[in-house]
Amino acid sequence: MKTKARRIFRFLCVVAVLLGVLVTTGGALAGEKVLKIAYPYDPKTADCQKTTDCYTLPLNCFDRLLECVTLESGESKIVPGLAESWEISEDGKTYTFHLRQGVFFHNGEELTADDVVYTFDRMLDPGTKALNTDILDFVEGAQERLDGEAETTKGLEAVDRYTVRIRLRESYAPFLAVLASPQSSIFNRKFTEAAGDSFGLTAETTCGTGPFILEEYTLNDRQILVANDKYFRGRPSIDRLEIKVVEDAETMRMLFEAGEIDVFDCDYAFSQVPYFEKHPKWKDRMVSGPRVGIYYIALNQKLEPWDDVKVRKAFQMAIDRKTILDKMFYGRGILANGVMPKGLAGYNPDLEPLEYNPQKAAQLLAEAGYPDGVDVTLVQVSTWGQKWVTMSEIIQNMVKEAGFRVNIKQVDESTYYATRKTGDVNPYIQVWSADFNDPDNFFYTFFSRSGTVVRSFNNHSEEVFEAIEKARSISDPDERIALYRELEKKIVHEQAAWVPLFTLDHIYVISDRVKSFVVPWNGWSDMSYYEMDVK
Amino acid sequence: MKKYIVKRILISIPVLLGITFVVFFLLNVVPGDPVAILMKEKASAEVIARVRAQMHLDDPWLVRYLRFLWGVLHGDFGVSYKLQRPVTDLILQAFPKTLVLALSAAIFSWIVGIPAGILSAVRQYSLPDYFFMGFSLTGVSMPIFWSALLFQYVFALKLGWLPVAGFYGWKYVILPAVVLGWSSAGLIARLTRSSLLDVMKKDYIRTARAKGVRELPVITGHALKNALLPVVTVMAIQVASLLSGAVITESVFGIPGLGRVAVDAIKNRDMPLLQGAVLFATVLVILGNLVADILYSFLDPRIRFEKK
Repeated sequence: MKTKARRIFRFLCVVAVLLGVLVTTGGALAGEKVLKIAYPYDPKTADCQKTTDCYTLPLNCFDRLLECVTLESGESKIVPGLAESWEISEDGKTYTFHLRQGVFFHNGEELTADDVVYTFDRMLDPGTKALNTDILDFVEGAQERLDGEAETTKGLEAVDRYTVRIRLRESYAPFLAVLASPQSSIFNRKFTEAAGDSFGLTAETTCGTGPFILEEYTLNDRQILVANDKYFRGRPSIDRLEIKVVEDAETMRMLFEAGEIDVFDCDYAFSQVPYFEKHPKWKDRMVSGPRVGIYYIALNQKLEPWDDVKVRKAFQMAIDRKTILDKMFYGRGILANGVMPKGLAGYNPDLEPLEYNPQKAAQLLAEAGYPDGVDVTLVQVSTWGQKWVTMSEIIQNMVKEAGFRVNIKQVDESTYYATRKTGDVNPYIQVWSADFNDPDNFFYTFFSRSGTVVRSFNNHSEEVFEAIEKARSISDPDERIALYRELEKKIVHEQAAWVPLFTLDHIYVISDRVKSFVVPWNGWSDMSYYEMDVK
Repeated sequence: MKKYIVKRILISIPVLLGITFVVFFLLNVVPGDPVAILMKEKASAEVIARVRAQMHLDDPWLVRYLRFLWGVLHGDFGVSYKLQRPVTDLILQAFPKTLVLALSAAIFSWIVGIPAGILSAVRQYSLPDYFFMGFSLTGVSMPIFWSALLFQYVFALKLGWLPVAGFYGWKYVILPAVVLGWSSAGLIARLTRSSLLDVMKKDYIRTARAKGVRELPVITGHALKNALLPVVTVMAIQVASLLSGAVITESVFGIPGLGRVAVDAIKNRDMPLLQGAVLFATVLVILGNLVADILYSFLDPRIRFEKK
């Protein structure tokens, strides 16, 4: 028995040593200014051409020709970035950018016009399999390049070492705003070509000009960024940014309270807001900002009874949006009545509010041929969390009074997106936040000829399609805004193509280590940490 | 023995083939588009169509399946649609973390479960028996996500003894290992107890006692060796199931292990990654069963694979 016991003891010792070796250790150096944050998802890649969300790495490791900076809460301005100046031709088709000199990538290479041309051409190269190509749709020769009919993109030209010229096939007013979005981050040709398909997947294969350098990237675990001493705007105040991946919202809250992360994003657990508001330690550590985004319900006109405008209007009237905002989101936001949320260029504060009137809604439903009410379906993605389930259930109960008998259908996320892209999904509740500060980011996304199908609105209005296309090429800002405001009234009030709900504030709780924290202009969770500081 | 092992390995080949076919078939039957979910809210019909063509997703599913098999035969499991990395790298990166977690949980369950089961059996209907069986029942009954949150709250947030989540050192392993191992410990304790009680009633135990052998050698030398036979089987299979079933624990404790990789692959209709993860898990379960059978033969001399 003694020999056996010894053997077991030895075995356990070996296993213990093995476990110790397999579990890695890591940490910051003493005296370093470290900001620790968490997101519930892994960014998958830093290559912003191959992802349509998770922009924290691009926003911190790369720069763009222009940047959209936060002026005050919910207000933004486009400022020079890697380009210190630019000119636009009179016909609005040619953009000439003059690059800053002496800007260096993390690998020591100087930024040149060739890098800019390479970056945008790479996006359009079919071999890249990029997902954000639509932002360059207007560049001359983009389609030929995407189709593999051209080796280069005709409209992209390096005039000299520090001058880039981009020619568009037709005038596109939001082009500057698009170039300031994270998808337009600039890469280094030499480094990116050498990294090939691995670009952005590891710390070793990521290189930009940004304020932080990616030092470690462990998939589904964490990313560690360190300050770029040679950053052209000046070194960031914080030395190290640690980004953890914490899938579970409750775990994230506990990590925050245990001091293991410095920022808690209430978007991931909105129900915790009252807890923090009442907590003596945290109530004064809450920061919030408006979101340039909108919660809405999409109504699919391809499906009955939503093809009838009276039914859609009745549904708009049957929802008491104020009660949802107050009860479920503790009044932390404002009601939305149009397509453009507050903070977006063109927002109309004087837009006529949507009326809550269940009796009138029931009357409209009767006029539409449903005097005894109507059965409808609301789609709910099962993995999106409790907030969405609760919202669906509240609406289900609310619209009963008007005669809508709502069946909530739970589907998984992949099924939802696959059905939605073909224009066949039932009405759903969603939120959209601005990628760039231009109404086109909302109108084209939802109500253009392709957008209305791929998002299952199916609001096939030629008048709307033509107006959206026209607005894209109008260079006079006032004329554009006037057109968008008219369009907004038509879509929401005449066509009742969607139900705008509200715009929620983005609320954070920050630890007392954090000295400055600014909610980004668009209210995104993904943000640049360049200007933040810790004790 | 060698012949038996070779035979078992050969039998597992059609099993693996069958499983890859079923997974491939099922994932093609259920609705979902890996490119649409890749683009999520930024979905554009044109981009989806182009990227689908570039990824050969429009080919018939049988063609894609045969292409996958051809790749596997050449040691190439493909590249994950979502994570854009080679599947083999992703599995090899995630597996050590799951292995550490599963082994730690298994060791915890053995260290706690077997002594608890023995004590409960030798002191049947006593206070320790009720205590350990209560402990077992709680472990088996309590949902892992709940016990995980409870342990995090008490031992990490309130007492501050251990970290809340992450995987950066031995301290980080303790909580998830205990949470994951508790249910297995309960199972092993109950199995050890019932098996030992059964053995203690056998004639040879009575004979040993009649010879005047003291109680401790009776239990450890005579009863336990036989009573542990079914327990060993469960222990070996349990390691395999812990390896493939630590999804919730990994999620709550933020451990970048294999379980999370597999669940993400299902959510994202990431066929290459899911096939890789399923194949890997299947091999583990087959190996677990094989090890259990081999251990059985060592523990019980009556079982001899060659001498039938």
